[in-house]
Amino acid sequence: MTRKMTKPALMIAAAIALAGGLGMSVAASAQSAGLSAALSSGAVGEQADGYMGVAGSVSDTVRKEVESINIKRRQVYTDLAGKRGVTVQDAAAATACQTLSRLKAGQAYRIGAGAWQTKGAAAIALPSYCASAG
Amino acid sequence: MKTRMIMTAGFAGLALGGCIQVKAPDKPIEINLNVKVQQEVVVKLQRDAQDLIQNNPELFPQ
Repeated sequence: MTRKMTKPALMIAAAIALAGGLGMSVAASAQSAGLSAALSSGAVGEQADGYMGVAGSVSDTVRKEVESINIKRRQVYTDLAGKRGVTVQDAAAATACQTLSRLKAGQAYRIGAGAWQTKGAAAIALPSYCASAG
Repeated sequence: MKTRMIMTAGFAGLALGGCIQVKAPDKPIEINLNVKVQQEVVVKLQRDAQDLIQNNPELFPQ
């Protein structure tokens, strides 16, 4: 009796999970659609503090996306910092070494309080603490 | 402590050879460990950072 009840319940749960997964993937791609254009044009860029920043003129939608991403980034940095016993700033800065080094030509970045720069063909000068990072 | 050791070594040198001169540096020896520690922390975190980016692609759009 119980077993008969479990099977449909499982199927319903699987259907919900599938729908949820699909919904999430749609939301994720919708989120990056406007943003990826702003990223490749250099209107939105990566900062050495581990967060994204608005370097040029962007729509309110993109601006809000950047803010929303930064809030979520802060959360994952905080989790990592707690796990490794470091400050949130260190966790964020370490991640920035990665995000900065994988930038493509034409994308914007900012080191410290400096001005926004556009990545050219050459590799960018990473902050000194990234020097020996693999 | 350090100065004392250097002085002792100097005196020992004088007593033995008489011609060996050990000069204490004019400036104190400074070892900045903070930079190294900061660098080590960031280097160790690099792998975590890579995982973080891979596991949260929606937070790190390219």
